[in-house]
Formats: sequence, C-alpha cells, structure tokens
Amino acid sequence: MTENLSVDPEALRADVRDKYRDVATNPHGTFHFHTGRTLTALLGYDPVVIEAFPDRAVESFAGVGNPFSSRDLQSGEHVVDIGSGAGFDSFVAATAVGDSGRVVGIDMTPEMLAKSRASALAMEMSNVEFRDGLAEAVPVDDGWADVVISNGVINLCADKRAVFAEIHRVLRPGGTLQFADIANGRPVPPEALRDIDLWTG
Amino acid sequence: MLKESGFENITIGPAVDTFGGAIGEQSARAFDVFAYAFLATKPT
Repeated sequence: MTENLSVDPEALRADVRDKYRDVATNPHGTFHFHTGRTLTALLGYDPVVIEAFPDRAVESFAGVGNPFSSRDLQSGEHVVDIGSGAGFDSFVAATAVGDSGRVVGIDMTPEMLAKSRASALAMEMSNVEFRDGLAEAVPVDDGWADVVISNGVINLCADKRAVFAEIHRVLRPGGTLQFADIANGRPVPPEALRDIDLWTG
Repeated sequence: MLKESGFENITIGPAVDTFGGAIGEQSARAFDVFAYAFLATKPT
C-alpha cells in the first residue's frame, strides 16, 4: 500500500530523533509537552506501580495518554511497545505480565535505547528487552505478540498505514492493539502538514 | 484507518487534555488536539 505522504519520512525521523534525544539526556529541560512523574499522574497511571520505579525509568516519559486504561494486561502475555522511548510503558507492561510474560520495546533513538536498557538492568527486569527499529519495520517475528502498545508515537510517523500493517503482522490472530495517541478536532492546513517542525512541536 | 488495516472491535476512550498546562497548550487548543486511548483486535 503506497500512501501520498505529506513529509519526507527520513527527514521527519531525523527531527523526531533530535527532539527525543533531548528528552532522554535532558529530561528536566523545557518541552512543549509534560514529562516524567507529573505526566504519569496526569494520565492516571497506577501510583503504586510507578512509585516503585527509580527516577531514571520515569523522568524521560513523554507519552500522551495511558494505553493501559482501556484494558489490563494479563500475566504471561507477549507485548510489543512501538516507540518505547526510555522504557517507561515497557516497564509498566513487564510488571503486569510478570515473569512468564515478555516485553519487547522498539525505538529508533540511540539515547533512548541506551537509557531504557540501563534502566532495565538497574531494575533487574529480565522479562523486557529493547531493540533498535522503526515503527514501519518492527524487528519482531510474525504473530509473536499477544498485545501491541504504543503511546504518542504513531502521530509522529509519516506513513501510518505502514505502521498499522506492521502492527497487524506482529500480532497473533485475536491479538490486541491498545495504544494512546493524539488527534486534532479541527483540520490542519496543508502547508502546516508539510512543515516538519510543527510535527514535533 | 484501523479498520482499513484489518482491525476490528475498535473502541476509542474519552478525550484526555494531555497538553493542558504545558507549553504546547496554546497550539493544541488551536487545532482541538486531545489524546485518546484506542483499543482494537486482529481478527482470529
């Protein structure tokens, strides 16, 4: 399926990497969105779960919603987190699925991957791993996932049909997609859609 | 787009004012931007 894209996907990825590199390495900087523990409280994450996480696992969280609000993960489930960032949602998922479950986080920003892997080690979470990859080319076998989660990432992808096709591929039949993302209630002018800076704020 | 991509049982949760009180609030208000939780399944 070929989509008429309004922006160059690679140029958009470069801009997104720049933005989220900053969120990873300077989490208490100034951003156009909320971050960290303030954001987890705003979005209704379970405080009992979050309080057990060290700051490094929460401070670079920059999601837009709560992908766990629509359905609780079950023990033993295999979960893929598309655009896992510094790992926060993957850690929430890993806590929910337990030792018999498995979580694979996918991200394209090296600094986010490094931070998420270091946090997993620090928390001794052995049921979660982080892989370098794109939402449009997820490095996970066909049908491996019981659940795919994502949080504020798909809106940053130029080719959303390609992303949903990949999610469909990695899910098993009967598997669940539960994600949070933004949507606008008023149309965005075509010239704004072509302005990459506006995509990332 | 979810339906076109082969998903079913699609539900959308309530709007969340994710940019409220943040620096990006004014831009979000200009285009009525809110966050939503989406749920869908891959057919068996």
